[in-house]
Amino acid sequence: MSLFSCLSVSGSGMSAQRTRAELLVENIANTETTRTPDGGPYQRKNAIFATETAPSSFTSVFESVSQAGVTGVRVDEIVVDTSEPERRYQPGHPDADAEGYVAFPKSNPAEDMVDLMGASRGYQANVAAISAVKEMISRSIDLLR
Amino acid sequence: MVENVAQHLEQYMDLVTSRQQLVASNIANADTPGYKTKDIDFQAELQSLTADSAPRAVEVDGLQVKNDGNNVSLDREARLLAENTLRFTVAINLARAEVKSVKSAIQEGQS
Repeated sequence: MSLFSCLSVSGSGMSAQRTRAELLVENIANTETTRTPDGGPYQRKNAIFATETAPSSFTSVFESVSQAGVTGVRVDEIVVDTSEPERRYQPGHPDADAEGYVAFPKSNPAEDMVDLMGASRGYQANVAAISAVKEMISRSIDLLR
Repeated sequence: MVENVAQHLEQYMDLVTSRQQLVASNIANADTPGYKTKDIDFQAELQSLTADSAPRAVEVDGLQVKNDGNNVSLDREARLLAENTLRFTVAINLARAEVKSVKSAIQEGQS
């Protein structure tokens, strides 16, 4: 066990929250997008998190035997919202169907903004954990002076 | 005598480190569905400290469970984060004093 594995756990939290924030920003940016490579309007994406045993350090294999409780986090899956698109009557729009309706992404900017705040706060909490651990490590190093 | 105190300080710092690891994983998993807060029973582990047994991680009772089954409270984790850093600093300062007294003995009392 070492303080350095705390750093990799918090690091995994930061990258997971960043991925979530990226997807939310993408959702907000594409609220009016009617054309995608797959055809049809944009579909909202969301990240699903899952726990993961502390990642990739030299001693991690040894530690995973002795320290079963310590877990990081990873993005397990990116789910696509498959709910029906919102249909608006815009006959002049080039993507309008025969009846004059255009399919827009079913988006809720308020929901995305609130989630974005959550992601940002989660990121901040992980950064605070890293600076606390960093202080502990540098104090241990000071012991040698 | 000096070795004994130093050894106890080392065990104490190891325990604080283990706890800090659990706090870090709780914070990292604050948005993971179904994740349950983990902690060690600090007082009990401190009473029964032996050098070669890793402290046991247990789930914490009495926290509010959110809709996705997660019960991490960021307030609680932030408090523990600060508390662990302070505990560690105290132990480090005591250890410094130990090292200083050994140094003083080596230098025959001359600073």
